Amino acid sequence: MVRTEEYQYLGKPIPNVNAVEKATGRGKYCTDMELPRMLYGKVKRSPYAHARILSIDTSKAESLSGVKAVIIGDETTCPFRYGSGLEDEHVLARDKVLFIGDPVAAVAAESEEIAEEAVDLIEVAYEEFPAVFDGDEAFRMDPPAILHEDLKNYKTIASIPPRFSENRPNVFNYFRVRRGDANKGFEEADQVFEDRYETAMIHHVQMEPHCAVAMLDEKGRIVVWGTNQKPYGIQRNIAEARGIPLSSVRMIIPAHLGGGFGGREPKMEQIAVSLVLAQKSNPRPVKVRCTREEQLSCTTTRARYIVEIKTGVKKDGTIVANDMRLILVGGAYSGSGYLTARNAAFGPCANYKIPNFSLDAYGVYTNQRPCGSFRGFGNAEALWGLECQMDVIAKGLNMDPLEFKLKNCIEEGDPNAFGERMHSVGGKECLQAVAEAIEWGKKTEGKKPHLKRGKGIALGNKYSLAPSASAAIVKVHEDGLVELRTSTVDMGQGSSTALSQMVAEEFKIPVSRVRVLNPDTDITPFDQATVSSRSTFNMGNAIRKACQDAKEQIFALASRELGVGPEELDTADSRVFVKQDAERSMHIRDLFIPMVLAGYTLKEGGEILGKATYYQPGVPTDPDTGASEKPASFYMFVAQAAEVEVDIETGKVEVIRFVTANDCGKAINPLIVEGQQEGGVLSMGIGSSLLEEVVTDNGLMLNPQLADYRIPTTLDCPVLSGYKGIIMETPHREGPWGAKGIGEGVMVASAPAIANAIHDAIGVRFHDIPITPEKILWALRAKA
Amino acid sequence: METLNITVNGEAIEAQIDPNTTLQKFLHDTLGLTGTKEGCGSGMCGCCTVLLEGKAIKSCLVLAIQTQGMTVRTIEGLADGETLDPLQKAFVEKGAIQCGYCTPGMIMSSKGLLEENPNPSEQDVRSALSGNLCRCTGYHKIVEAVLSVGHR
Repeated sequence: MVRTEEYQYLGKPIPNVNAVEKATGRGKYCTDMELPRMLYGKVKRSPYAHARILSIDTSKAESLSGVKAVIIGDETTCPFRYGSGLEDEHVLARDKVLFIGDPVAAVAAESEEIAEEAVDLIEVAYEEFPAVFDGDEAFRMDPPAILHEDLKNYKTIASIPPRFSENRPNVFNYFRVRRGDANKGFEEADQVFEDRYETAMIHHVQMEPHCAVAMLDEKGRIVVWGTNQKPYGIQRNIAEARGIPLSSVRMIIPAHLGGGFGGREPKMEQIAVSLVLAQKSNPRPVKVRCTREEQLSCTTTRARYIVEIKTGVKKDGTIVANDMRLILVGGAYSGSGYLTARNAAFGPCANYKIPNFSLDAYGVYTNQRPCGSFRGFGNAEALWGLECQMDVIAKGLNMDPLEFKLKNCIEEGDPNAFGERMHSVGGKECLQAVAEAIEWGKKTEGKKPHLKRGKGIALGNKYSLAPSASAAIVKVHEDGLVELRTSTVDMGQGSSTALSQMVAEEFKIPVSRVRVLNPDTDITPFDQATVSSRSTFNMGNAIRKACQDAKEQIFALASRELGVGPEELDTADSRVFVKQDAERSMHIRDLFIPMVLAGYTLKEGGEILGKATYYQPGVPTDPDTGASEKPASFYMFVAQAAEVEVDIETGKVEVIRFVTANDCGKAINPLIVEGQQEGGVLSMGIGSSLLEEVVTDNGLMLNPQLADYRIPTTLDCPVLSGYKGIIMETPHREGPWGAKGIGEGVMVASAPAIANAIHDAIGVRFHDIPITPEKILWALRAKA
Repeated sequence: METLNITVNGEAIEAQIDPNTTLQKFLHDTLGLTGTKEGCGSGMCGCCTVLLEGKAIKSCLVLAIQTQGMTVRTIEGLADGETLDPLQKAFVEKGAIQCGYCTPGMIMSSKGLLEENPNPSEQDVRSALSGNLCRCTGYHKIVEAVLSVGHR
């Protein structure tokens, strides 16, 4: 599948451009930041899941030696609500607290220890209310608690606004898709399958704790550094919450960020708190850093999901109708979950050819930590249900699950459930590739009778957001070095490297001659966010256009020197040359002239500064049917196959083989794509399927330590020979060099592949993840 | 305050410290050796792993004062000027580094392993690194990188 077009820098497994500073310990992260006279902030959190704040007494905290500022939520500290698309959140709770951990006050002090002591001295009186934690109960027309009585009056965003429910007061977004006639489809079906699937709440567990540093500069302007993956989103949120113009906020993302996975964008608590504290402690900067326990217990997660699904099929295995209900069991504030609730629908809408399709997707508030994004953005959860269902149906029809999927999977030109004609669809090829690699159909035996083996397969896709916009600036320095100014956040996924390769390819210069600036809203131009696997495609297109703009400027200047038209020129290795006569050339430096007392200047035009925006408007979805010719920018496809060994004595599942095939359009850097595949599958795929669960009791997290909230270790992953990652390249006509994306498209098929393999091994169907040893033993006992 | 005498990356250091300062905080905050990261502060993630008397330990679980008279090697002490240690080079070249927050601890644990067992099996590497969490890589390229050095 890998195409053989020759590029000099694209498609090459170039090591991460930031790896050396990370390997030597020189790389500075937000948590490493120290500024002169810096103070340390801590947050006072609610012990109740739902309560009114009656009074807050900060006097003891304020009189503690070393305390410099104490803030509570009021008119001055938190004048406005903010949100990703639905403004439902204050920086600090003002009237009611809505989850255990809701911030009610904060302290800035000379040390973290003093701040912590001061937080304990703040006395808050509450009147407790009934709370709701269960998704089904929160979704009811008469729920046991209503979180936001004033929901319908909250401000919403104009682009993709949330839709509320007439009669379900905790619903913060509702999205529906209708294609064909599902009821008619069920009548035509030979068999109808109906089931319900669930996923647990899981956490990103980024290794760097959430952190922010805020200060006011000499002129009193807000400057904030944060562990965030959407600098321009945070800038907007700060401006919204303060009621000030965006231009009065400077947001900087340090060069290194210790993991993202969606969890670095929705809630800006550390930023907001550090900022308000900094305003009060001016001119001293304030740093607010989460403890691991805070991060695990109070920050955004992948929320629980309820997936109800009904599918009608013909005897020959043709799917004729599908009806789904998705419920995002959200938290106290919608955050970016307002959009997850809608966009979780995309995966089921684009996996198979289904003529009659109906889907209702909801997000509901509960008294738990706020919603946020998590790699896959609801699609891993929705596809968990769909891909288990497809396995059930195939086996119910006595068909091979692979054959069943190949028969129904969507292909180039097919309409999806939105009515959009699909383009760049590698699903079928991915299915065939993983089936071959795992030796599908060949049964292997465990070494002992109590070790049962089985294989499972799943298909997935992940859309990327539309409308979508990225801007890029490239500056060509007089020595030929090209500086890339982009607000794409490199949180480990390798964007700085991949984007550098694009610049290198455009200018035909080594990657070491490209410098990437870290995001800074004063310097680097607009980017929507580093989310939705959108950077390679959107920022890549912007970079390509910006490079072309810069090259046009270079060629215009050089054409006078070389005496030919600009269209006859090209550039490589920091030289400009005549295409037909490469001997006639000049160094980029010679476009500049040396100046007395200083370096070099251009005689006109200021600088060689290429700039461009890539804007993908998409087409809005119809509010009643979801119909749209272009609801997303592109779709990544993935197929995965797992072989598991289940110990029926202990209930332990070992993933002994795992194969993933990912259609990324074009791998700008195969080493990075492999890294995304491996992390997505081996850490998050296996973790979410078998190990990970935020365990709560009435809204209180019971396992907020890494010893109890278990992510995979080296011992939980398959050995080197047991894992294979296959890169598929189905080019996209709008992608830069055909590229789409990778990061989010990885784990969307992992859980069903593993669960389907467990079913193959022991004949038990699980409907909720994680599939723990306890669940396996109970299920085996029930079966016996 | 108490006086601590300690050798860090070959340099003899005398410092006045609060006796409840952990070794991690001493290295990171006091000496500014910020490669020794704090990920959890309770010994569960391994980000702060350093070599104490040549053995890989989690520096958040040791009080600085307990290391009186001992030698500590941190990630900053591994490269020889601009020449990377073979482990660092392998991590860079094999793509074993993504966000990099776990990397210093991961490399120091690997160093501790190779000093004891220069030719580890895959299982040896997996056991030695099982206390170092990484969320980005699934450990695949990390294990490959360590084995590539060990097999030399």
